[in-house]
Amino acid sequence: MDLDNDVPMEDVEEQETHTSPTSISSSIKPSNSSKTITSQQQDSATTSAKSSSQLDSSSIGLLDSWIEKLSKCEPLNESDVKKLCDMAIEVLQFEENVQPVQVPVTICGDVHGQFHDLMELFKIGGPCPDTNYLFMGDYVDRGYYSVETVSYLVCMKVRFPNRITILRGNHESRQITQVYGFYDECLRKYGSATVWKLFTDLFDYFPITALVDNKIFCLHGGLSPMIETIDQVRELNRIQEVPHEGPMCDLLWSDPDDRGGWGISPRGAGFTFGQDISEQFNHTNDLSLIARAHQLVMEGFSWSHQESVVTIFSAPNYCYRCGNQAAIMEVDEQHNRQFLQYDPSVRPGEPTVTRKTPDYFL
Amino acid sequence: MLSLKERSDKLIQATDLDALSCRNSINLKSYLIPNDDYIIDLINSYHLYLQFCTGYSSISSSRTLKSIFKSNKLPIINRGSYLRTRAIDQVIEKFINVYNQNCQIISLGSGSDTRAFKFLTKYPNILYHEIDFPESVKIKKLAILKNVKLRNIIDYQQEESPNISSKEDFQNFPSNLATNNYNLHGIDLRTLNSSSKISNFNSNLPTLIISECVLCYLSPEDYVKNITFWEHLNNELTCFLIYEPMSLNDRFGETMTRNLLDRGLNLKLFNKYPNLETRKDFLRNNCQLTNLKLTSLSNIGGYDDVHKQETSWIDIKEMKRVNSLEFIDEIEEIRLLLKHYCICYGEFKKFSEIKSFHGINDWDWDIIDDN
Repeated sequence: MDLDNDVPMEDVEEQETHTSPTSISSSIKPSNSSKTITSQQQDSATTSAKSSSQLDSSSIGLLDSWIEKLSKCEPLNESDVKKLCDMAIEVLQFEENVQPVQVPVTICGDVHGQFHDLMELFKIGGPCPDTNYLFMGDYVDRGYYSVETVSYLVCMKVRFPNRITILRGNHESRQITQVYGFYDECLRKYGSATVWKLFTDLFDYFPITALVDNKIFCLHGGLSPMIETIDQVRELNRIQEVPHEGPMCDLLWSDPDDRGGWGISPRGAGFTFGQDISEQFNHTNDLSLIARAHQLVMEGFSWSHQESVVTIFSAPNYCYRCGNQAAIMEVDEQHNRQFLQYDPSVRPGEPTVTRKTPDYFL
Repeated sequence: MLSLKERSDKLIQATDLDALSCRNSINLKSYLIPNDDYIIDLINSYHLYLQFCTGYSSISSSRTLKSIFKSNKLPIINRGSYLRTRAIDQVIEKFINVYNQNCQIISLGSGSDTRAFKFLTKYPNILYHEIDFPESVKIKKLAILKNVKLRNIIDYQQEESPNISSKEDFQNFPSNLATNNYNLHGIDLRTLNSSSKISNFNSNLPTLIISECVLCYLSPEDYVKNITFWEHLNNELTCFLIYEPMSLNDRFGETMTRNLLDRGLNLKLFNKYPNLETRKDFLRNNCQLTNLKLTSLSNIGGYDDVHKQETSWIDIKEMKRVNSLEFIDEIEEIRLLLKHYCICYGEFKKFSEIKSFHGINDWDWDIIDDN
């Protein structure tokens, strides 16, 4: 437990210059595979080149102005959101169910509308596009700034399609967002459900998994008893609302568990999977690691199954109540991994007194 | 301008709105069977009279009520509210049944709690007392007087229809109310002392005293004073059922301390007795209670062991029904949240021949201390 975890803003900015952020829990591992360029990666390079070539200078200007606006935590207007989502569909529809990603990359977990903490994440991890990012879903719900958070990440995706990958989480769904806040927030900020509709329609295009250098399989939830090989993920039709059951649902909902084999998930969707399952999956698919998010972990990251699975959670003090640290995982060219932990951002211009205190059972 | 104490009291009284809005939410979501038909009467009474309470105006009271009742509660909040309500109800009901209605229930800081109406409907022979700040009690009293249904439950015969239309009217309106089976007392618990009188208190009945997130706002000294007050008042078995949060000395607890301090709420025992073990010692050594049983709310909900999926507190059929009402996505979060709340039972016997209450032994408690 680190006690000196309230890092003032100035320190962080200072540290940025020598790229060694706050508390580093090193878990550096020797690389066990040399980097090989596969045909898939070449494909992806081609695809990306295609999509980025579609960005003309006026689109770039527009995107940059949106990013500037959003980085001040100001939401876009409805017509701009419409334009943005149309542009994003053009990019995301060509991405694969198992989107190939190259190292170096920084892998991130749940953000949940905690916009200021997302800005903190980019301070800790380095700005995009200088740093490549892979986000494993759950951008919306729970926090107070789902609209700004998801708008910002989608803008970055369209602006720098080769530099940032955004996967789908179980909260990127029409059903869940109606219960957990994104829908209400859209109504509150736009006066109608139009923006919610635009984004949830866009979510259907988000890739559901990514494969970092053919070695790290990244996804929001976990494994599915109906999926043995990564190729089976490639065969799914992902462009749809997250189903209530089946392989696509499982990939976004499942959790690793101490018990072996498959188990019923206490969440009511997906499954729990044991170490035997993870090891078999990694062996079958020649993987070194499954990286996933989805679960609150107090240190921001947590190993399971003898380091065949890692959970990464990137929303510090989740829901302004849980007191947890957040983390991101850097993977370098040699496949060394390093976790960067961080705490909630200090929020200039957002005095805590105006914020609603989270609910307690009083 | 409010004094510091008035401001602090206002903030503590306002926690009743948190509790009421949570109960309202689980009621609307059909967690409660049968439905609680009285909650709406209490909400209406707040809408009429909160404006006359200290520190409120007609604008600020309607703003307060709007903001607290308009937003939907998240499923984890509903689940926790259900578990807390259910667990406390179960203990009370067991108590009433074991003593065959020949008993007394005292609810400290009862606020807008509607339990009294529920239990008096089902068990009209029990004797029920509710105690809270005079203003909170008046809100409830006015809800009763304005409502034939509630009047009938407590068997209130007098034809009295007060017209309260100003702060002055409200101030002058007496807070106490007494019928054969029901009593409202407008008392600041911090002022209770050995010479305080509780009208219609029957000192020859087994008595269960409930503190649902109430004593935790007192200083440890006042807390102990409150417990011993009842111990001395009663000649029969005196039992306490206490629900309150605890910090567990972890980061969730630190964050909760900060968040509540932001609201001006200072939970005096929260960090001082941070877990079940230290609470047990406090209740035994400082409060002189015996036959102690303590559990976390996460244990009651069956969240301590993810693999169990069941709990001795709630039967499987009921758990299935509740699980079907709302999806609980956030298992880790709900476990973390519920671990920080405890339900504690303890009793005091003035005379050695008084028998202990054993009606709740079948449920799984984290700590049982028979000494």
